[in-house]
Amino acid sequence: MENEERTALNTFWHNLRAVPVDLYRAMFRGGAPVTDRTRSSFVFGNVFLHLHSVRTHLWSLRWTATMGLGIITTAAFLITLVTGVLLMFYYKPYPDVAYQSIKDIHFIVPTGRFIRNIHRWAANVMVVAVILHMARAFYTASYRKPREFNWLIGWGLLVTTLALSFTGYLLPWDQLAYWAITIGANIAQSPREITDAMGITDLMDIGGLQREILLGSDIVGEESLIRFYLLHVMILPIVMAMLMAVHFWRIRKDGGLAKPADVNERVSVSQPEHYPVFTEEPKKTYQLAAVVKGRTPAVGSGPENTVPSMPHLFYAELGILMFTTLVCVALALVSDAPLKELANPLVPENPAKAPWYFLGLQEIVSFSAFMGGIGIPMLCWIGLGLIPFLDKETEGTGEWFGGPGGARLTLWSMVYGFATSIAVEAFAIRFGWLREWFPDVPQLVITFLNPGTVITALYAAFSIWALRRFNSTRAGALALFTCFLCGFIVLTVIGTYFRGPNWVFFWSPADWNAH
Amino acid sequence: MTTKPKEKPSRFDPEPLPRRDFLGLAALGSMALALLVSAFGMLRLPKAAVSASPAKKFEVDLPDALPAGEAFVPPGRNVAVFRDAEGVYAISTVCTHLGCIVKALPNGFECPCHGSGFASDGAVTKGPAPKPLPWLKVSARGNSVVIDEETTVASGTKV
Amino acid sequence: MKKNKYLLMVSSIGVFALLVIAAVSENFLKDWHAIQGQARAEDGPIEVRLRQVVNNDLRRTDRCVTCHVGMAPGEQITSQLKVAQPHKPVVHDPAVMGCTTCHGGQGQATEMDDAHGNVHFWTEPMLPAKYAYASCGTCHTPLNVPNLASLTSARQAFERLDCYACHRLDGRGGTIRPGGNLTGMDGPDLSHIGLKGYDAEWYVSHLGKNREGASEAWKASFREISDADLRLLKLLLDTQMGAPKLIEARAQFNSVGCTGCHAVSGFGGQNGPELSRVGEKDPNQLNFRNVPGERSLTNWIAQHFRSPASTVPGSLMPALDLNEQEIDLLTMYMLSLRRRGLPDVFLPKDRVKAMRFGAREFLTEPATVYSTICSSCHGASGKGARFPGNPPNPSITNPDFLAIASDDYLYATIARGRTSRPMLAWGEGERGLGDAEIRGLVAYIRQLGGGVQFVSDGRPARWVSGDAPTGERLYKANCAGCHGAIGGGGEGPAIGNASFLTAATDTFLVETISRGRTGTIMQGFATPNTVRPALTRAEIESIVAFIRTLEKK
Repeated sequence: MENEERTALNTFWHNLRAVPVDLYRAMFRGGAPVTDRTRSSFVFGNVFLHLHSVRTHLWSLRWTATMGLGIITTAAFLITLVTGVLLMFYYKPYPDVAYQSIKDIHFIVPTGRFIRNIHRWAANVMVVAVILHMARAFYTASYRKPREFNWLIGWGLLVTTLALSFTGYLLPWDQLAYWAITIGANIAQSPREITDAMGITDLMDIGGLQREILLGSDIVGEESLIRFYLLHVMILPIVMAMLMAVHFWRIRKDGGLAKPADVNERVSVSQPEHYPVFTEEPKKTYQLAAVVKGRTPAVGSGPENTVPSMPHLFYAELGILMFTTLVCVALALVSDAPLKELANPLVPENPAKAPWYFLGLQEIVSFSAFMGGIGIPMLCWIGLGLIPFLDKETEGTGEWFGGPGGARLTLWSMVYGFATSIAVEAFAIRFGWLREWFPDVPQLVITFLNPGTVITALYAAFSIWALRRFNSTRAGALALFTCFLCGFIVLTVIGTYFRGPNWVFFWSPADWNAH
Repeated sequence: MTTKPKEKPSRFDPEPLPRRDFLGLAALGSMALALLVSAFGMLRLPKAAVSASPAKKFEVDLPDALPAGEAFVPPGRNVAVFRDAEGVYAISTVCTHLGCIVKALPNGFECPCHGSGFASDGAVTKGPAPKPLPWLKVSARGNSVVIDEETTVASGTKV
Repeated sequence: MKKNKYLLMVSSIGVFALLVIAAVSENFLKDWHAIQGQARAEDGPIEVRLRQVVNNDLRRTDRCVTCHVGMAPGEQITSQLKVAQPHKPVVHDPAVMGCTTCHGGQGQATEMDDAHGNVHFWTEPMLPAKYAYASCGTCHTPLNVPNLASLTSARQAFERLDCYACHRLDGRGGTIRPGGNLTGMDGPDLSHIGLKGYDAEWYVSHLGKNREGASEAWKASFREISDADLRLLKLLLDTQMGAPKLIEARAQFNSVGCTGCHAVSGFGGQNGPELSRVGEKDPNQLNFRNVPGERSLTNWIAQHFRSPASTVPGSLMPALDLNEQEIDLLTMYMLSLRRRGLPDVFLPKDRVKAMRFGAREFLTEPATVYSTICSSCHGASGKGARFPGNPPNPSITNPDFLAIASDDYLYATIARGRTSRPMLAWGEGERGLGDAEIRGLVAYIRQLGGGVQFVSDGRPARWVSGDAPTGERLYKANCAGCHGAIGGGGEGPAIGNASFLTAATDTFLVETISRGRTGTIMQGFATPNTVRPALTRAEIESIVAFIRTLEKK
């Protein structure tokens, strides 16, 4: 054979046989990821993986560092993305037809019901995870320099997540959806409460404009459905994907997860996977400081407490991905996504409830549409966005409940937050509010003096007290954030479980009068 | 620090090769399995379980004055119905080439898409059509006839 | 860092296991899998797959046939599986019209509870089997239906005259003989003859065949028919639309005067709610607080007939004292009132006639008109009725009344009614009663009253010239107690009503006051009684003069 002449045909045949091997080599250029070097090239040679750094700090790999909440959110997003695309095979965004198509998905589409259930549960998991993830970032003070901007990106992602979930709510076109969206649209219109009181609605009707743009018409109809559909399957997912990409990229560029200053003293290195690098004084300094913010890897002299991301970080990520999938699939098996009767614009649902994460707002909306639906949420949202710019302290970064006050202040705030909101709500439920006592009271007074604003004011007072007591902005933020989280929980629970037809208080849904 | 100075490896040392990692392989394998099953489930979704088309069997009243050999096309159906001395028969008007609807002419059928031509009994006379137009099952019900678009019969069967 | 690998492995195995469970339950554990698995056709087991009936014009996608696989298009099930039996032969092929068109329920569902509508949010549960004929009302409108008494005698006449010997009617009769016609019977099936139409001269031709003695059957089974029986047969044939139970239900509706207060397709009173689509009511929007039993529309309607005021708080509808059989028929008729819009190709002739040409749904023969419209308020025999919470309804067959009420007065009262009183102007409006119908009704009322005729005294309509102030004094003393201070009515009728005063002649008023009404508390004021002296003729005329002044108020 060795003397065989290398004819063109021969070469062609030889190359053809080598295609599988060559293809594999072309795709995985670095070789098997077994050594430090090939593992590194595995990460940075892959478009999807190179968002990760090549090596990951042991601090970041502890389960308690993040509880995996960011990855859970991402995983839930991926699950909704895949299931959502599948549902689009059968979903038809037109009134009545939409409802029929959901019925088809429920009853006859192969795996349709299961996939719709997963979609619905993954969406809920995502909302929960994104809120918890935000809480984690806050309680570990991870928003501080240089991560202020990434906190803001996350801040946008929170809103996008809620918007995605809310726009998906209309698509089945059942009573549940129709009336929740009607209420949502009227909340968008609620700035009229202010403009009406000022008598300038005719000149500048912001509320009316918002509602009209959202619905595309004066009622919730086919125009609204196509708008919500477009937002749900196109605009918001694109916004989401772009924000996520920036969010991930910034994690890397901001030097990975936030770590305490003395992190290397805190990590015990005994795992066999831990193969130290940068053990000697480098011969020359890597000029990375300008590119990567944070502590440059090459400057220190001690061993870096890092392990290769491949495979340690990826096991963790895949583990959480599959764990999230498991949770969604399990929930989808035991509980069907709701589908009530076909939307009927003439017969309102009673009670018409928004998705659960808006029920806290709906609870304060029941006093003032503007304050509950726009005023207080905007205040919270702007407050959240300002946190990294107001708290420029350094104590406790990267640690749970780090900073002045710490876990003890958080606990106090929790007690205060729960107690205050429960007390104010109980008072309003038991004794009514201004309108019940003085039927002629102007709406503007209620807009600025209602249980929602009272709770907000009480929380603010407590936060100022904490700020002065510990002489620290971080302490004030800890107190305020915890209080609002508790208030959110209390109001959501009341809205979900204790409000029945006509938004009347009931101890249990079993006591709701049948129609 | 836990690593003792004398054991302290250098970054210029070759990294020890990992031992065979059964746990990791099992984990990855089970994940691949789960993803494979879910991919299979997802691939099933686009194939509809039932097609949303109305019944292919329909009843039609033929006009009393239908000349022999003249086609009667029931509204909304791709069938030409004929009546002559020997009885009633129906020929599909879906071209056997690529599914265009052929036009019934006095002496046969003509396809507008790629120029196939058919004789009045459905046999191919020109063009790319590979098969003759099928004859459909016809049965009498009272004064009207029932045509079953899904059942073909031998050419020349008249009822 | 093994725990991450364990997390990955355990989660993946969990996902795998759950997916397998989901796949098995979806592909093997549904009820319909078991049903289709057991069903057998002639050539063995059938293919287990989803089946459906689609009708795009009616917007139906009915998967009922996935379980009721014997009714699926093209399936011939031979096994004795109850759920998989074929449909009994009906006019409308279920494989074309779909299932829910007639039976209601949720056609898209593939599980029993969902499909049959036993889920709390499904608005249109299946019609119970015994009310299945009510579903004809979705598209059809029964026309020319008599009251129940007439219908019963018509059916009896059909039987008595031995028509069943040759003809088939609603699945009964029609002996099959060799030498019969296409269907093997001597005569055609008459079940749908009212819809299809028939030869008006059939009796003449039958009689001819009988005289010729064309066959044994013609001689043995046919004989001359009296005019009264011919009328009854016509009445029966005109209502034949293949839904005998529905006709019976409408006949019951025509027997208790519901139309006096409720309208159906634009004809009827306005005191009660319009009923044209009452069969589509959403049970979720109904009050079941005082309704024992299941939360279904059927049950609610039946209970509403038993006790209207407790079922709908504040309802003015009186309890009509019906027996269970009557309630059952009325419930069925209510369920049949589901007249939704239909694509034109599916509009049946009867519906077109009723919608576009004003055809009556009740027979325009006086007895039926009376029992359909008048009987609930004025009573089946015209003696009047009173219901708690409503003004008393006067007797209209009182001989004293009929003797002084001219036909014109009765005609005017029926045609123009009483403004702002329960009595409507039945002769007005697009669908009001026609001249012949009202005349027939007037004659029928006289007949009910024992044939008492009006005797005219030859005076003009207005002749009284009494002293109104005196009359007012006398009115306050004697009349206001029952008829109200300005004639607004109370225990007695509203005699100040403008439309009443327009129709009533002075003679009518004078004579009514003088003679009173036998059998009511209105006694003749021309004769004294224990509590008051008699009024003189002049006094009575002055009262009439006063009453006339009320007309202007």
